[in-house]
Amino acid sequence: MNAPLEASRFGSGQAVRRVEDAALVQGQGRYTDDHVLPGQTWLAFHRSERAHARIVGIDVAAARALPGVQAIYTGADLVAAGVQPMGVAVPYSPPGGGRFTVPPRRALAHEFVRFVGEAVVAVVAETRAAAKAACSAIVVDYEDLPAVGDVLAAARPGAPRVWDALPDNIAAESRHGDAAATAAAFDRAAFRIALKLVNQRLAPSPMEPRSVLAWMDEGRLTVRLSSQMPTGVRATLTETIPGRTADNVRVVVGDVGGGFGMKTGAYPEDIVLAWAALQTGRPVKWQAERNEEFLAAAHGRDQVSHAELALDAGGKALALRVRTLAGTGACPGAVSIVIPLLIGPWVSTSIYDIPLVDLKLSAVLTNNVPTGAYRGAGRPEAIYIIERLFDAAAREMGIDGAELRRRNMIRPEQMPYTSAMAQVYDSGRFEQILNQGLELADWKGYAARAAESRAKGKLRGRGIATFLEWTGGNALEENVSVTVTADGFIELISATMPMGQGIATSYVQLAHDVFGVPLDRIRVLQGDTDRANGFGSAGSRSLFTGGAAVRVASLKTVDEGKQLAAKALEAAAGDIEYESGRFQVVGTDLGIGLFELASKQSGARFVVSAGATAGAPSWPNGCHVAEVELDPGTGQVQVVSYASVNDIGRIVSPLIVKGQVEGGAVQGIGQALCERVAYDEQGQLLSASYMDYALPRADGCLNFKTAFDESVPCLTNLLGSKGVGELGTIGATPAVVNAVVDAVAQAGQGRRAEQMQMPLTPETVWRALRGEYAAAPVIPA
Amino acid sequence: MPAISLTLNGRPAQATVESQTLLVDLLRGALNLTGTHVGCDTGQCGCCTVLLDGQSVKACSTLAVQAQGRSVTTVEGLAGPDGQLHPVQEGFIACHGLQCGYCTPGMMMSATCLLNQNPTPSEAEIQHALEGNLCRCTGYVNIVAAVKHASKLMTSTEKQA
Repeated sequence: MNAPLEASRFGSGQAVRRVEDAALVQGQGRYTDDHVLPGQTWLAFHRSERAHARIVGIDVAAARALPGVQAIYTGADLVAAGVQPMGVAVPYSPPGGGRFTVPPRRALAHEFVRFVGEAVVAVVAETRAAAKAACSAIVVDYEDLPAVGDVLAAARPGAPRVWDALPDNIAAESRHGDAAATAAAFDRAAFRIALKLVNQRLAPSPMEPRSVLAWMDEGRLTVRLSSQMPTGVRATLTETIPGRTADNVRVVVGDVGGGFGMKTGAYPEDIVLAWAALQTGRPVKWQAERNEEFLAAAHGRDQVSHAELALDAGGKALALRVRTLAGTGACPGAVSIVIPLLIGPWVSTSIYDIPLVDLKLSAVLTNNVPTGAYRGAGRPEAIYIIERLFDAAAREMGIDGAELRRRNMIRPEQMPYTSAMAQVYDSGRFEQILNQGLELADWKGYAARAAESRAKGKLRGRGIATFLEWTGGNALEENVSVTVTADGFIELISATMPMGQGIATSYVQLAHDVFGVPLDRIRVLQGDTDRANGFGSAGSRSLFTGGAAVRVASLKTVDEGKQLAAKALEAAAGDIEYESGRFQVVGTDLGIGLFELASKQSGARFVVSAGATAGAPSWPNGCHVAEVELDPGTGQVQVVSYASVNDIGRIVSPLIVKGQVEGGAVQGIGQALCERVAYDEQGQLLSASYMDYALPRADGCLNFKTAFDESVPCLTNLLGSKGVGELGTIGATPAVVNAVVDAVAQAGQGRRAEQMQMPLTPETVWRALRGEYAAAPVIPA
Repeated sequence: MPAISLTLNGRPAQATVESQTLLVDLLRGALNLTGTHVGCDTGQCGCCTVLLDGQSVKACSTLAVQAQGRSVTTVEGLAGPDGQLHPVQEGFIACHGLQCGYCTPGMMMSATCLLNQNPTPSEAEIQHALEGNLCRCTGYVNIVAAVKHASKLMTSTEKQA
């Protein structure tokens, strides 16, 4: 065992190598599809190629006759067997009141299909090839119904109905703020800025597709899958499948190849896999093909907004007014509605002291894949709106965008600050972050760089986003169980989930702070509903909830260890001190090692559980500055510099948080420049592969300047940490778009450039430079 | 069904495959090497990249029978027989070049192919060599740094030898 001094270099705040990596770089990761069980069968889905249709009949006879086919299930089969639709409960009503109602999301479509890609029939066969061949042999007779291909089409008067009960396709509406006072503020404003902004549909695209392996284990249904929320998946299985309870369902998760919010909660496919295992008694496997992920895994964003900002003559923002149509897809879940109607609006005034808001947000059904959480989940859309407005206002007033932001920032002495959205920010020194961001980006030296770009025949632009976000998912409690074993390990069991963010490394560092043993003596066990249950990992919550619980449980373990050591050493507990794996009677050489102590307990281990509850969400914030070069001949955009200063409170793992901000920023840049889920007017998906959906690639790779200011700890949790997982994604999109708009505006387009909508592809930019813009979206008042 | 013989991670291997079996399915299936991943169905993501006679190929776009008589290296064959990590593996760990790890094996095989052919690539050459591999977590910046790190490790080792 290493000496204590050696070990202390690895505690929180130190840049350590991740505990996850040794296995992953040797191909020893254990993702769901890497597991194979004896007698395993394969399941494949026959999916709807229609965006909206009535199912007249399903002929599975030819499929059933094919070799290797074990079972075939239709939506009608599942309904007859009592399988329930997935529940949707939200605290909203359609406009004008009345009962909340949306099409039921079923494991398999029944009577109607409402989006291309909806699973209609499931086939279980001996091999994947046999299951797929059988799917191809299934004939579904459809009666086509009129479809709405996107949110604007769905909101048009007289649009076809996605769900008969909703004449205008609006499933829910929320209002926030004071409409009359906001209108009065606009009346007296010196400047009124209005923008129409499209926040396009995105495919989250974790590199590991969804994957499920379900089997029966001595009467218990066991489901292994790639998920951020195993307990939530278990809950859905027990709510939808007759006879299944928390006691007879186990959900296990191994390595997760990326989540980004897309793997929160259960999918219809998960229910089908579970059902097939129950019915056939054999292990059943499905791994989505990438095509299926585009067709049926949750998409993100999809909002269209009319946004207005009122400012006085000095540039002080008086009021914010936003009208948003949010596409929910055909059979929304609760998140499809809560993200645009509630979570995004919480940060709508961001770090600015804007006293009045008037927000109206409508959740609109469309014949598309249901939307869900995608990195940022509502906050990127809200921050994009306010940051685009501030740049437009600065352009209108002829002042520096950074200066206009500075005039409006909430000041440190206003903390704790209650926003117009009734959100309480515990901490934040936004101007301090701004100043560092401008310094890091060399804001003052911009003119020289712009001249250099011009000399190369390029158009340079710069953009800034100063912003905050809300983290924690309002699930603020976590418990951790600590087991000390005689063979020399400390095991931490947590219901939070790894998905690539390196949470295990951070937990190990936090436990090391307390135990002082080498990192390789500490193990983290996650992803088993038989061991731990909770909310799971989403909303950048894990470190400041689960990490706090690690610390509390570790401290309690040492306290209880002192009691056990006192007994073993025949001393008073008050005389025992602990350091670096050893209990010692103060002032003597009498002592016992932590693991030796475990060997003396019954079962050769001792177990201590404890929890922690954060007092509030955390409000990480940052200043992100991007510079771009446009090629006027091709419209190609190159992000040439990206500097960010981030306040994420206290940092546990410096390498990891830098990776989160920079990797997240590239996702945000993807939205700004290249990504878009495209449907045609009939609801046919046009971007169903990586040949049609443009993810950022290595050739756009940036040299980031990324810094952190740790001087503003979060005041509402034990660690002082603020969630970091989504910050980069939220800041990058407006920073980069503002930079491109700036370049186009400077190139002679002026405020007309603000009509540009994401993604800012070469064609969009090339046309904008010639004064050609897509028609502005029509959004009802 | 065709029977094939190949050299797999330096050792002889045999398998019986169907003529349409993809190399990636042979590796992940009968040969039980699950470090090679599948991330798409159009040859775009590069998660399945392996070396075939030293050249990086996408194992989803290669038939198993094409490996007949040839040498295949997967991520499991990168480390030395004594367990010593390959410089590319060291680089990915040291530079935080991976997060979820799903694209990592393919990414490392592309990087290994590059470094074998060009031991001191420029940043632009690294970016170009990795264009066929998608990563959603890292934003690539640390991956490029990892390949540079590996390049330094490999060239300094050669100098010592």
